[in-house]
Amino acid sequence: MALIELHNVSKIYRLGSQSVSALSELSLTFEAGEFAVLAGPSGSGKTTALNLIGCLDRPTSGQVIVNDMNLGTASSRQLADFRLQHIGFIFQSYNLIPVLTAAENAEFTLMLQKIPKAPRRERVRRLFAELGIDGLEERRPADLSGGQQQRVAIARAMAGNPRVILADEPTANLDSHAAEELLELMRRLNREQGTTFVFSSHDDRVISQARRVIRLEDGCLAGDTGHDR
Amino acid sequence: MLLTLAYRNLWRNQRRTLLTLSAMVVSAALLILALGVFSGMFKDMLASATEQYYGHLVLAQPGYHLRRDLFASLPAELVDLPALRDAPEISGRSPRLRSFGLLSRRDTSQPVELLGIIPELEQQVTSLQHELTAGRYPAAEDLNAALIGQGLAHKLKVQPGDELVFVTQAADGSIGNDLLVVSGIFATGDSRHDNNLVLAPLPWLQQVLVQPGRIHEVAMRVNDPMNAAQVASRLTPLLPDHLKLLDWGILLPEMREVIAAYDVSRMIIVTILYLATGLGILNTFFMSVMERTREFGILMAQGMRPWAIRGLVLLETLLLGSIALTVGLLCGALMTLYMQQVGIDLAGYITPVTYAGGTILPRLHAVFEPGNFAVPAGMLLLVSLFAGFLPANRAARLNPVAAVRED
Repeated sequence: MALIELHNVSKIYRLGSQSVSALSELSLTFEAGEFAVLAGPSGSGKTTALNLIGCLDRPTSGQVIVNDMNLGTASSRQLADFRLQHIGFIFQSYNLIPVLTAAENAEFTLMLQKIPKAPRRERVRRLFAELGIDGLEERRPADLSGGQQQRVAIARAMAGNPRVILADEPTANLDSHAAEELLELMRRLNREQGTTFVFSSHDDRVISQARRVIRLEDGCLAGDTGHDR
Repeated sequence: MLLTLAYRNLWRNQRRTLLTLSAMVVSAALLILALGVFSGMFKDMLASATEQYYGHLVLAQPGYHLRRDLFASLPAELVDLPALRDAPEISGRSPRLRSFGLLSRRDTSQPVELLGIIPELEQQVTSLQHELTAGRYPAAEDLNAALIGQGLAHKLKVQPGDELVFVTQAADGSIGNDLLVVSGIFATGDSRHDNNLVLAPLPWLQQVLVQPGRIHEVAMRVNDPMNAAQVASRLTPLLPDHLKLLDWGILLPEMREVIAAYDVSRMIIVTILYLATGLGILNTFFMSVMERTREFGILMAQGMRPWAIRGLVLLETLLLGSIALTVGLLCGALMTLYMQQVGIDLAGYITPVTYAGGTILPRLHAVFEPGNFAVPAGMLLLVSLFAGFLPANRAARLNPVAAVRED
């Protein structure tokens, strides 16, 4: 059974009196442990697809099933709980909470999961060590470099032990060296911990690092390579 | 951690938070001070009515307070009724006999109300001994000493040591008259007392009225005047059926209404002032929520439920309210303390005004009353929560996709 299934998914946004089709009849499946990229130019539907997989949005038509849960029929509360337990997000602009320290940012998901203080501190400490950002726990996001912030964002996404991590253009704001390091880190976590990574990118250097490349154009599937690798 | 997040969020824009906080602190502190001064004014009014003349409780025959019937007298021993003597709420009992008549000095006469009292007992109930402008309060051994109001002394042109003649109708139908010697002159600021009231020894008046061993009423002082009605209700079943125990609210219904109106006006003042404060809080938190739209989207993406988002914003407003409350209460208490200890004397600008049976004195001074702190405090927290509710609701209803995209 696939971990993520998209069956004939369409998403139409309304902008004033106009309707914009972001995704059209998209069907995809992802197995557990995949390291896949949604590639395509700006406006091709990458972020929309990630939002649907991540239960942030609902499809206009079609079915999105993640971890056996049909997201189209779930309530907002069920979706929030599902995100909390099963999905981790990494955003292009890191989006750390500026008033929390790096460690507190990572701890926040665990706090929402009602994990007691001591184990959640320990979990974050190990994650920071694993991600090479130990020693930065007490720093605020404003005192960290872009690469460090993105690692903290990964720690935040990983903290709750999600089955899937979704990353929207995670390297877009990083220089090439930091981007390469980040991709290597994500690959290692995928390899060692079996976490499924689905990320979007329009950068060919990043796309080439993925084991599976799904190309989207105008909201439609334009290619899917490496699926069976 | 939510509390930490809420607290730190408050200080993201320090200037804005401090401005809002200042408005809340100032409104709370000034409100507490204003209510304290109002309470001081009403306490003065109540004291002028009850502690200069009526007492807080009066035991008499039914209807006596309306008719002042000479013949509605009672045995003087009633002052020692066990129910009154043993009541812990009562701190003083004074037997009184009352007469209305003419007080003359040479060719001048004035109609007066004359109260026959036992000086040491009367001083436990009323406080005219603190309002003397000349002479002294009658002593126990004085046979015919009189304490008279300043207005009356002025009209009769008397000073302490001068003699007066009192003429009235006695209980046996004869004309009762006798000499009084002015021992002291009082001035309360209440023209009704200052122009008409005379205090004389009870045995002297009993003799003039041919009412030996009789009194008309027992005036009493209670520890908490605002609790007088409850004390009367508690004691009434313990008293003989032919007696009526009245509290000051019945003796002075207009004063009771004024105090009830004060309670209402206090709420109106609090509401108006806090309405303005609430709008300030509302503005601050709307700005704060709008600036953090993306963050709320991120928190939702992490799995934070809408009610928790709402709770986070409400927690911030409640924190702000609590800080304002602490500082506001402290400032309000300090200002009230100053006005209680020092006050402002307005005697040079205005004269005492008699209103609703009491006297508004030409001074501003405050008193500490729990309600004057509890009402502003409770309302400030309510206003904070209410003003925070709209922004909190907005944050909770955000679409996570749109929120995450927000710049």
